[in-house]
Amino acid sequence: MERNKVNRVDIASEGDILEVRKTVRNESADLGFGPTDITRIVTAASELARNVFRFAGCGTMLCTRVFGDGHNGLELVFADQGPGIENIDQAMERGFTTGGGLGLGLPGTKRLMDQMEIVSAPGQGTRVTVVKWLNSKAA
Amino acid sequence: MTGESISVNKIRDILLVTVPADPDDETINLLQEKILQAMERTEVRGLILDISTVETLDSFFARTIIETAQMVRLMGGRTVVAGMRASVAITATQLGLVFGDLRTALDVDRALDMLRDAPSRR
Repeated sequence: MERNKVNRVDIASEGDILEVRKTVRNESADLGFGPTDITRIVTAASELARNVFRFAGCGTMLCTRVFGDGHNGLELVFADQGPGIENIDQAMERGFTTGGGLGLGLPGTKRLMDQMEIVSAPGQGTRVTVVKWLNSKAA
Repeated sequence: MTGESISVNKIRDILLVTVPADPDDETINLLQEKILQAMERTEVRGLILDISTVETLDSFFARTIIETAQMVRLMGGRTVVAGMRASVAITATQLGLVFGDLRTALDVDRALDMLRDAPSRR
């Protein structure tokens, strides 16, 4: 998978969630995604950025254009050094929440994107990687 | 998008709020506060939330809208959410957002029709 043009946004305040949305909106529009996919990607980014802020206090998002298997795509990596996720399977269950939210964040985000990977352990922070492919079968 | 850009307009006995296109969390909270203050101050029978420019409705934003509608309801008013874009409706559904009995309309015009028959709070 080729990678280029990395955009980085530091997440340390609620206002930075807006910055994440702007960056992701611009990148996905530039890459040629249609309005519905742009909304899906930006909404997913907003959910993940809010998780970083709510659970870890601060972290980063890397927004990267990727190319693989004949398709362009957009990869978003949200990383923090927060408390981590104890049980990833449980966190992926709809309705499960420890943060007072609706419990839609992770499973909902997964449905909006084509790929999602979570690497986390208690005390080790969390890294969530999501990818949306242009002209993907899931679109 | 700062709080300064929010306006809550009273048109006859309806409050009309045009939600900014990409509000931050602070603006969303301020929006709720301004709406409830206006509900207390005026004798309007309902609220129209025009979200036709909104491109991103994440779970926080949606929850605030649902809660605001419930608060307005407790104050004797009705809320209609107007103008949700197709891309937002698709995304909200796939994300798993549940709007319950929140009333919606295609546009502000139809929302006004829906509220015309709502009971007065007077």
